[in-house]
Amino acid sequence: MSWIPFKIGQPKKQIVSKTVERDFEREYDKLQKLEDQTKKLHKDMKKSTEADLAMSKAAVKISADLLSNPLCEQDQAFLESMTALDTAMRRMDAFNQEKVNQIQKTVIDPLKKYSGVFPSLNMAVKRREQALQDYKRLQSKVEKYEEKEKTGPVMVKLHQAREELRPVKEDFEAKNKQLLDEMPKFYHSRIDYFQPSFEALIRAQASLEHVIGRPSVVIVKLQQRVILKKSRPPAAGISLRQTPASMAIHTPLR
Amino acid sequence: MEVPRRPQPSFMLALPKPASSMSAMGAVEKVTKKGPMKEKLERTDDQVGQGKRNSEEETFESGVSVFVEASADSSELVDTSTARTNSRLPSQDSFSEESSISEERLAEEAKEAKKKSEEEAAAAKERAAQRQLLAIEELVQSERNYLRMLQLSTVTIRSNLQKLQPPLANLDSMFLYIEEVIDVSGRLLSLLDQKQVKPGDPHFLETLCNSFLSLSSDIEAAYKEYLANYNQVTVIENGYKQKEALWNEIVKVIKASAPEVNATSLSFFLVMPVQRIARYPLLLQTIQKHTDPTHPAYPLLEQTAHTSIALNCRINEYKRFREVADKYKKTETLTIKDKINRLNSHSIAKKTARFSQHFKHETGIAAKLVDEEFDALEGFFYVLENGILELLENVETYLNHLQAFLACKTEEFDFDMDGEKAPICYKEITTALRQWILPTFEKRMRTLIHKPLCALRDLLVGPRNLIRKRLDKLLDYELIEAKSNLSYEEQAVANTYRTMNTLLLNELPQFNGLALQMIWSMLGTFSCLHKDLASDMEQLFQSFAQQLPHSSVHPAAFWEWAESAVLEGARRLQTLCQSVQDSLNSPVVQPLSPSSQRRLKQLTDKHGSGKIYQVMTTVVGSRDLDLNLVKGELVAIISEADTRGDKRRWLVDAGGRRGYVPNSKLIRYHQPAEDPPPSPHLTLPEGMSGVRRHSYTPQSQPLTITRQPCFQVLAAYDFTARGNHEVSVRAGEPVRVLEPHDKRGNPEWSLVEAGDGQRGYVPSNYLAMMPTGTGPSSSYYPYC
Repeated sequence: MSWIPFKIGQPKKQIVSKTVERDFEREYDKLQKLEDQTKKLHKDMKKSTEADLAMSKAAVKISADLLSNPLCEQDQAFLESMTALDTAMRRMDAFNQEKVNQIQKTVIDPLKKYSGVFPSLNMAVKRREQALQDYKRLQSKVEKYEEKEKTGPVMVKLHQAREELRPVKEDFEAKNKQLLDEMPKFYHSRIDYFQPSFEALIRAQASLEHVIGRPSVVIVKLQQRVILKKSRPPAAGISLRQTPASMAIHTPLR
Repeated sequence: MEVPRRPQPSFMLALPKPASSMSAMGAVEKVTKKGPMKEKLERTDDQVGQGKRNSEEETFESGVSVFVEASADSSELVDTSTARTNSRLPSQDSFSEESSISEERLAEEAKEAKKKSEEEAAAAKERAAQRQLLAIEELVQSERNYLRMLQLSTVTIRSNLQKLQPPLANLDSMFLYIEEVIDVSGRLLSLLDQKQVKPGDPHFLETLCNSFLSLSSDIEAAYKEYLANYNQVTVIENGYKQKEALWNEIVKVIKASAPEVNATSLSFFLVMPVQRIARYPLLLQTIQKHTDPTHPAYPLLEQTAHTSIALNCRINEYKRFREVADKYKKTETLTIKDKINRLNSHSIAKKTARFSQHFKHETGIAAKLVDEEFDALEGFFYVLENGILELLENVETYLNHLQAFLACKTEEFDFDMDGEKAPICYKEITTALRQWILPTFEKRMRTLIHKPLCALRDLLVGPRNLIRKRLDKLLDYELIEAKSNLSYEEQAVANTYRTMNTLLLNELPQFNGLALQMIWSMLGTFSCLHKDLASDMEQLFQSFAQQLPHSSVHPAAFWEWAESAVLEGARRLQTLCQSVQDSLNSPVVQPLSPSSQRRLKQLTDKHGSGKIYQVMTTVVGSRDLDLNLVKGELVAIISEADTRGDKRRWLVDAGGRRGYVPNSKLIRYHQPAEDPPPSPHLTLPEGMSGVRRHSYTPQSQPLTITRQPCFQVLAAYDFTARGNHEVSVRAGEPVRVLEPHDKRGNPEWSLVEAGDGQRGYVPSNYLAMMPTGTGPSSSYYPYC
């Protein structure tokens, strides 16, 4: 029997202090955000490298198709410049491939690994939640017996319940402590972990762009030379001012 | 004075000689100041009238049917009046100069010849010179006037019309080629002005002719487009006339913009080039008529006149080609219903004839009319067409991929790494790349490559239709080719074929060449764009790469570093992950109830502690021999498969009851550390304990202990084997425990391997264990 009149109005005893819970929530929120971002970046990176590769493949196809066009057989100069274009495009593709490989190795794979940690972390958080639930349940059981009159069987049950509660409580506290300890550490680890990735990402493009730049300069020069050579004796002495009648564009009547 | 000859033989084809009926006169041009004003006026009127009549005829011949007489009249009037007023002053100066030159000759002539005839001749010469001068002046003045009118119409009227609300449709196509016409006319006048000679000067005629000849190709190019487009202009204007209110508005604008001329329609101005080009030959012929054949510029003048006529002929020819081309090159999109409606006996007959002819060709009955030149051109055209279509398709794919690349917003992540250099750099780079460099590249790519390619593809339609139509016409033509006398219709068919053939032969090479050049330049642009893109990107990346901590490292070393750093990161992550998993995923250790403790003891005794599992959730048996178990109950496994070898059902001992339980519900039970003394096989790897050995057989897999046991088991007392199942050990001899119980699970006997490798049973209580690393002198623990 309770002699405290305001007992009912009193809030239940807080098992976990509010600050601890808030800290935990904050850390976990951060982690969840990090998880989202990692997944998103991983997806985007993958898609962008795929698109990048597809782009350079398409560029190669442009030149390769032209090279295999019968036009090349008829015109030596055309063949020459198409070969040059094709070489440049292939080179670019090869470099692109290498770049993508490097990015895959140094950026995408680590991202994937990093996001692979989250399930186990989430699992741990879930376990903690479970432990907390168990803890609460047993705690309330103990409290219930404590409130009862202290008769023999109740004392036995109380003792039993307390015995049961002890390891659960310890377990929860250990888990809670560990998570509160590990989560910030893990969160912090992203800096060191991703630093080389980003650097590699910039470096990959910087160095490769440098190499691509040169062959394309060469091809442009060649192209210009060939065009100059070509434009002097065109097939039928056409200047661009004269447009054939069959080609003249009419603005359609609206 | 040598007349500079220009090599223009091609222009001197079968042209009718201009009627130069002027009789030969003396080489002297004597001009007196007192030109009878009245006579002059009459003469100019005469010439104007004549010129007008001739020009009318000319325009009718050339098929330009639109000729508004009223407007022409008025324009002529304006022309002549301005010519008269302007010509007086310059003529006075030049006449005085010339008169001084010719004075000597005049004096000689005066001596030789007698007065009357001389005066007459002089008067005739004077008149002729006067006429020539007037004709030249008229040409120049009317050109100026013409140019002024054109400019008035294109600048003032056009801009005023553009202000109309609602905006006029197709207004721009009305003024489509007029700029070129204005340009060429302006150039002609500026050439004349440059020479700084006045119309009266004999050099002026030469200058005029030279200017005209030098510009003739440009004149042709400008006027032929304009004339070919003129039908369009009339169509548009008629369209405007349909709407009464709009038309009134337009007329009002025109009248307000050009109050000095009595213009009532746009075509009043726009028809001018049509009239003008036809007037050049007439004006030139008039000049020629009034020029002495011995005049130094006379051959040049004659050539100019011819050129102007040839010009008109070629323009007409061009117009005819254009009409044929326009007629056949358009593709009609007809529904089947429309096509059926179009069928009539005539078209069916035509189509059948063509088909049969084609059939004859294919089967080799009739020889095909082969034009090798055309076939080569056609083949080239098709190759080109293929190439263009393919290129367009590839470019489109490329652009699509580019778009996909742009859609990946790789810079929009938030790792909360604000203090770090590399991610910030990366974000900046990618933002610049995605929002500025690549979109620019894409835009350039679209406008410089994709759009022209699309336009080129659309242009392919015309020649393709013409080529197809030519085949049709060829089939028609072949049928009537052999006939000697053709009917009017057959003549028309043959003409159409010839026209189309010539057209294609002339223009396909041009088209092919132009298209090839376009492709070429597009590919040049393509690689240029790539170059620009590469250099832009390089600049961007290099500027940021300098800021990074490892920027000075050699690339190979950098990549080595990056890869090892990444691996290191991964390794650390792995350990972190492992530790989290290990510590957090371990199940809660519940203190055991007294009954469970009894059960545990019983099971451990019987099966050994490695076999003890705990039930994770309550199991309700669903099959024969399944056990119903409560959560938390302890069981010992007897076999990891049922009798049929199903690995998912394990045979367990639940403290007396035996039966099957799904293995997914079981979890290995770890005894709390302070519980019964650790036995060596707790450290056995999991796989080992799984193999339950029912009997000791030599072929069974030998047990290997992978990890160093933390306890060493020793024989505590001497034991002598009593049979071949047992093994003798001496006190203090280290042994390895293979199984802490016998075949029936009785823990009183243990299967051990003695130091010499012999295996056999010894009583468990003869064994003792001692922590490794400590000397044998330390305390012994009883083994069980």
